[in-house]
Amino acid sequence: MSVDLEKILRPVESPMVPYEPKYMLLASGEAAVVRQVDRDEIPDLLKYVEPLLHVERDYYDVVASRVYAELLGHYQYRFQDQYVLAVQIDGELAAIVNGRQVNPKLGLSLHTLAFRRGLRVGAHAFAAKMEYHIDALGHDEVLVVAESPIGFRRWMIEYKLEKRFDIPHELGGVPSWALTRELFDRARSSLVVGRRPVPPELLDKAMEAILPPSDPPTPALDPLAATRSMYDPTATALVSQRWEMEGRPDDA
Amino acid sequence: MHDVYVAGIGITTFTRLEYPLSEIASYASMMALKDAGITEVDQVYVANMGGARVNHQTALASAVVDSLSLTPAGAAAIENGPASGGSAIKAGFQAVASGMDDVVLVAGVERMREVNNLEATDFVATLTHPIAEYIYGVTLPAHAAMFTRLYMEKYGVTERHLAMVGVKNQNAALNNVWAHLQQEITLEGILDSPEAMTNNPYVAEPLRFFDACPVSDGGAALILVSKEKAKELGRPMIKISGVGQATDTHAVHERSEPTDLLAVRKAAGDAFAMAGLTPDDVDVAELHDAFTILEIAESEEVGFFPKGEGHLALEKGETALGGKIPINVGGGLKGRGHPVGATGVAQAWEIVTQLRGDGGDRQVEGAKVGFTCNFGGFGNNVVCLTFERED
Amino acid sequence: MAREIYAYRCRLCDTMHYPFRMVCSGCKQNDFFEFDTVPLPKTGKLLTFTKVYNLPAQYEVATLGLGIVELENGMRMLGQLEIEDPEIGMEVAGTVEIVRKEPYDNYYGMVFHAA
Repeated sequence: MSVDLEKILRPVESPMVPYEPKYMLLASGEAAVVRQVDRDEIPDLLKYVEPLLHVERDYYDVVASRVYAELLGHYQYRFQDQYVLAVQIDGELAAIVNGRQVNPKLGLSLHTLAFRRGLRVGAHAFAAKMEYHIDALGHDEVLVVAESPIGFRRWMIEYKLEKRFDIPHELGGVPSWALTRELFDRARSSLVVGRRPVPPELLDKAMEAILPPSDPPTPALDPLAATRSMYDPTATALVSQRWEMEGRPDDA
Repeated sequence: MHDVYVAGIGITTFTRLEYPLSEIASYASMMALKDAGITEVDQVYVANMGGARVNHQTALASAVVDSLSLTPAGAAAIENGPASGGSAIKAGFQAVASGMDDVVLVAGVERMREVNNLEATDFVATLTHPIAEYIYGVTLPAHAAMFTRLYMEKYGVTERHLAMVGVKNQNAALNNVWAHLQQEITLEGILDSPEAMTNNPYVAEPLRFFDACPVSDGGAALILVSKEKAKELGRPMIKISGVGQATDTHAVHERSEPTDLLAVRKAAGDAFAMAGLTPDDVDVAELHDAFTILEIAESEEVGFFPKGEGHLALEKGETALGGKIPINVGGGLKGRGHPVGATGVAQAWEIVTQLRGDGGDRQVEGAKVGFTCNFGGFGNNVVCLTFERED
Repeated sequence: MAREIYAYRCRLCDTMHYPFRMVCSGCKQNDFFEFDTVPLPKTGKLLTFTKVYNLPAQYEVATLGLGIVELENGMRMLGQLEIEDPEIGMEVAGTVEIVRKEPYDNYYGMVFHAA
């Protein structure tokens, strides 16, 4: 009985060509490997994404909570045709990108979540994802939205995406933008980089395990600091908040 | 004119700070007050550019003087674009040199990351000429880029030279725990590899991502005192021996020679003249490398190298730690970060640290004479300072 | 009627200014607003240029071309460029168009094209 129910509840997966790993040199001289993530590696990713739910800046909390839901749904067979790619530096997770296939000609970009900052890892990851849709999966178009202004500038404006405002994107129903094959080809030379095949030692290290990010974004010391500051420049509210959380200095 | 000494210094980490603007300034100031061993001052100057526009706070010095329990001392905020810090130091210098004040707190602070990057870019662009420049959408990177293109055409500076400055300064910041960027970069990663265009994209051609300083929050502070007070406090005797400030046309297109930075030349010249020094006497320098090209151009205009040869000296390693004239050994603006109002004071902080011998892994051996150049506007308002250790 | 960008000529000593100055930089003796407005020439030579990628929020374009032009009369000005492949020294010609849009205002300035 439960097996039949699972057949109904589980989405039918379309055949999707696997992502061919590639690697690139970052500004720091380190090599980053981009490769597809298997379902059984998702629990590791969930562990690393969870702390970002509490980082209330740069839309990390919104993106992380949505990525968490997407990854969990994928893991539990409740999400159709999703792929997940990971960017790793010496095995350590540097970024997660995901998306899905709407139909054999249309892709949909879900998210880009960067754990390592200052090296444009997010930009590399996003480009890798688009390359997967257009080149490997053969999509003519990919629907994209952005939660953060930085994402908007980087993708909508830099790639010159076309408006598809009649299509509400499934991420909150906001108007979609589209990366067409034509736009992607034009942007390809400047935005998509990476070399294949990945040298065996690099690939083995990446495939062995997805190691925890060593320096991920963390919540601010005082969660209300940023909002309070507009109304309380002398920070007395901050101090009393800190005393609440940590106890007054003379209580010790 | 009385002599002026730096008896205390303080700084915050330059990064993204989730604290109110005045609190950042107060933190650095308290550090400086403790360093000097004092709890009272005669006057407070706070340098800041964006408080009103970005942080919704005006009359910043009034907030800071109270937060530090320094009332009823006089206090004023000083806004001079990116040269706010240098201007605040000059104001403090004048207060002590005139004999009017004995102890002055000079702080610099900025909190630009309270708004997103697009807003921050626009905010900095407001220093340009409102009618002849701002409305065209010109940004500081755009000005620096146009200047760079001329420099490349006239003197043969290449993208490699710019990248070399970026690598030198960003990696130097690894020796400075207060610096914003703590990430090593390589020439291969940002220039030579096939991935360089994505790692290091154009921001405003020909300037690229790693040619520009990061957007940072932070604060720095100095305590300026008279000679008698300095002796009484018993801190190392670091004298501000020369102060120079000069201005130039507001609109960049009206500069007499597009590749010259005349305000830098004059401000530096005046500072050296007041101190009775020449550029060759300088042991360690902090130049304003908001864009890598500016370090090269300023190194020439202040007199370290002949005009048009700064990039050659860079190639030979003369501006690195251990070279003929180490420049920006604490990371400069590129590596340390550039909270606009704090920078001028942070440069002084670094020089005083060096002259005291507290530079740790980035110490310039035996440094006795230091120099700073705080570049306001796009080169139309510049403050230069010389510092000397008196043993 | 085509729009113009105006330079200001001191009535006492004929020194030309762009942009406006309250006190003439030539003689420093002028009275308040003792200037004549003179339309700037619209042709000249490109002195330097850039293509800006990181723009303020008001500009919803991918890049913006900017350049400093030396006009026929020897004066210089900053303008937006709509030129495919700019080169230092090339001849350019300008028209006055909207260069910035704010919510309730349009700002006009010179946009240069290849001549």
